[in-house]
Amino acid sequence: MSEEQENPQENRPIDLSKNQNPEPAPFQPLDQGPATPPPFQQPPPFQQPPPFGQFGGGGFGQQNLPNATASLVLGILAIPACCFYGIFGVIFGVIAWILGAGDMKKYQLNPGLYTESSYKNAKAGKICGMIATILSVLFIVIVVLMIAGAITNPQMFDNFIKGLK
Amino acid sequence: MAQPHKSFLDWLGEHLFSCPFKTHFGIDCPGCGLQRSVLALFRGDLIASFKFYPATIPLIFLVIFTIVHLKVDFKFGAQLIKIVFAGVAVIILINYIYKIYTHQFI
Repeated sequence: MSEEQENPQENRPIDLSKNQNPEPAPFQPLDQGPATPPPFQQPPPFQQPPPFGQFGGGGFGQQNLPNATASLVLGILAIPACCFYGIFGVIFGVIAWILGAGDMKKYQLNPGLYTESSYKNAKAGKICGMIATILSVLFIVIVVLMIAGAITNPQMFDNFIKGLK
Repeated sequence: MAQPHKSFLDWLGEHLFSCPFKTHFGIDCPGCGLQRSVLALFRGDLIASFKFYPATIPLIFLVIFTIVHLKVDFKFGAQLIKIVFAGVAVIILINYIYKIYTHQFI
């Protein structure tokens, strides 16, 4: 529409006669215009988050975060699991931490899509996983120190253990 | 039955998992006492349970509350879980340090 006015060189009739090229350019009807772009389509409107106050069970079209429950359960199980040299505590805690953090990111990218209660669960799972990981790592450090002590200086280590009892 | 009555809990008490840390190093790990404590709780002895492992009662409360929360979805549930969990962690730490200082390794 307005493109014909913007580049008038293409439709100038003098161009054809003065053109060094013997073959005339193929005739283009004026009404079509040169390669008009397709009509601009508006992107779909941004999904608005639903009105505040829709807790529990989710609002319309909302779903729970996929790993919130798993993160919470693993985070809590990580504390009783710390018995076996803290290894299971670290595994459970780190998994809960990663799942919780991933779900928190997912929620922050698209807050309207997921329920707020599951976001809170994911957050709680992440924090529980962090605490359990810290505790288990502390215990593992103690175990490693004791093994190192037992290897390097067995006599002193025996006295140390006897002193503890 | 002339034999004294032996309950399932007695049988369970004789078949607890032994702590690998304790068998190797001879001293308790931070989780030692949990099974004895849970057994004492099953018998209804709250004080003995607390003495074996002070974190058992809050831990069991935490597990039960989490199951209920995942079903019912309390508004304050996640917050309470976080607080109780931090409390359990602090209790375990203090208990272990206390055990070391008072030479209470059983």
